[in-house]
Amino acid sequence: MTLLSVRNLRVTFPSDTGPIQAVRGVSFDLGRERLGIVGESGSGKTMTGRAVLRLIRPPGRIEAEAMTFDGQDLLAASPAQMRALRGRRIAMVMQDPKYSLNPVMSVGDQLTEGLRRRDRLGRAEARRRAIAALEAVQIRDPDRVMDAYPHELSGGMGQRVMIAMMLIPEPDLLIADEPTSALDVTVQAEVLSILDGLVRDRGMGLIFISHDLRLVARFCDRVLVMYRGRVVEELAAGDLLAARHPYTRGLLNCLPRIGGSRAPLPVLDRSGDWADEAAP
Amino acid sequence: MSLIEIDNLSVTFRAKGRVVPAVREVSLKVEARESYGLVGESGSGKSTILRAICGLAPVSGGSIRIGGEPLPDPRGRAFSRRVQMVFQDPYSSLHPRHTLDRTLSEPLAIHGLGGADARVVQALADVGLPAKFRFRYPHQLSGGQRQRVAIARALMLEPEILLLDEPTSALDASIQAEVLNLLARLRAERGLTFLMVSHDLAVIDHMCDRVLVMQHGRAVEELAHADLAAARMTTAYARSLFDASADRMLDAAAAGARP
Repeated sequence: MTLLSVRNLRVTFPSDTGPIQAVRGVSFDLGRERLGIVGESGSGKTMTGRAVLRLIRPPGRIEAEAMTFDGQDLLAASPAQMRALRGRRIAMVMQDPKYSLNPVMSVGDQLTEGLRRRDRLGRAEARRRAIAALEAVQIRDPDRVMDAYPHELSGGMGQRVMIAMMLIPEPDLLIADEPTSALDVTVQAEVLSILDGLVRDRGMGLIFISHDLRLVARFCDRVLVMYRGRVVEELAAGDLLAARHPYTRGLLNCLPRIGGSRAPLPVLDRSGDWADEAAP
Repeated sequence: MSLIEIDNLSVTFRAKGRVVPAVREVSLKVEARESYGLVGESGSGKSTILRAICGLAPVSGGSIRIGGEPLPDPRGRAFSRRVQMVFQDPYSSLHPRHTLDRTLSEPLAIHGLGGADARVVQALADVGLPAKFRFRYPHQLSGGQRQRVAIARALMLEPEILLLDEPTSALDASIQAEVLNLLARLRAERGLTFLMVSHDLAVIDHMCDRVLVMQHGRAVEELAHADLAAARMTTAYARSLFDASADRMLDAAAAGARP
């Protein structure tokens, strides 16, 4: 079943030297599965995620032939309809907990704000639900974390708080933008298994945006590889090593490996035909 | 005698009446021209060791000697001539309102070295940046270019030792490869000694001759490069770090194995 369908998505920003297209004709379908979007900085992967929620500020523009979520046309939805979708049906975990949590509000207040305002829950019930959400992301002392301010949490804790916050309304689709890039490998593995469990148990759809091809290969079902605003290759994650596109191969080869050769790492060659084709 | 000798180093932070031991009795030795890695999760104290060497963290016990001599406090100019540090985040480690020219020539001015003009041009060339970048500001550069500037800045005084604090973790994989290649080339050309911190075991394996695995401020295990590559670690923690290392995920994905 298709949860989200995107056809020929374009995101354009005006600039002094003419319009700049950050996303140039991206199409994909997502069921209740884990879809990875990988690419370097500036490849348009974050903009694709934000465009789905229509979180592109003017003068940036979103255009597409079609963008539907669960039968609802996202392009035609009114601001009020979009607000009803955001958070409740489609949630997004932003990249950096340092910037996306409110620094002057305790974690508990931030977690219960939505429950109290949107779901009109009482204080005690909201707190109970928030603590349950923190437990779901493996925070061991939720009571302390509820009373803490964001600066008192480590990066890994902050990231888990963000995930907990997004999961409280039980969305059907979670867009996770580099949810683990600020974390250590050991914590990263933990956060990924939390997300994995949620996809499996709740049948949630997940768009996992990352620059780390290795991580995406291991964690997702399908991978879109983006370069300069276009999807250059779409693959089943298990076939990643058999990737054909020179850009995908370049991204794979430039990573150091334990026990690998210590010769200079192959650097991504952007002089091929594919790079010219991708040029605006 | 080793170039860097750290003996039973402890670093303790005191804040709001709480005592936080960040580094606990860590000892290590780095030979001249060696590349030595520190690896571990955040909060394991690996960056704090680099900061302690520079005098940026409160040493509460043990000693640090460079070239056999204890370090003066404050560190002074002779120290900066020998030891320089490259920080993790090139977005915050460069002065946003200084041009590259000013950033690169400031150490020369402080140390009263002449020929700034030629040295700045040469420094940009050495790290593979075009000369026309000289009068640009950091915000006009990409992350990889900024990290090249940070490396050029650290090399202005021609130090023997570079302390590298996660020099590529803020960069894309493709740019990481370029910066690692640059560091390896500069080390070979100039006979530099590296003390490098990373949470990525694959990066450490690629760059370092020996590595110290740290956890909760303690040294867990020291591994030679060959032992790391062959997975001959003896402690459970080093093993778990090895198993969680991202580059092994590719093999897992290739075999169709999912976590």
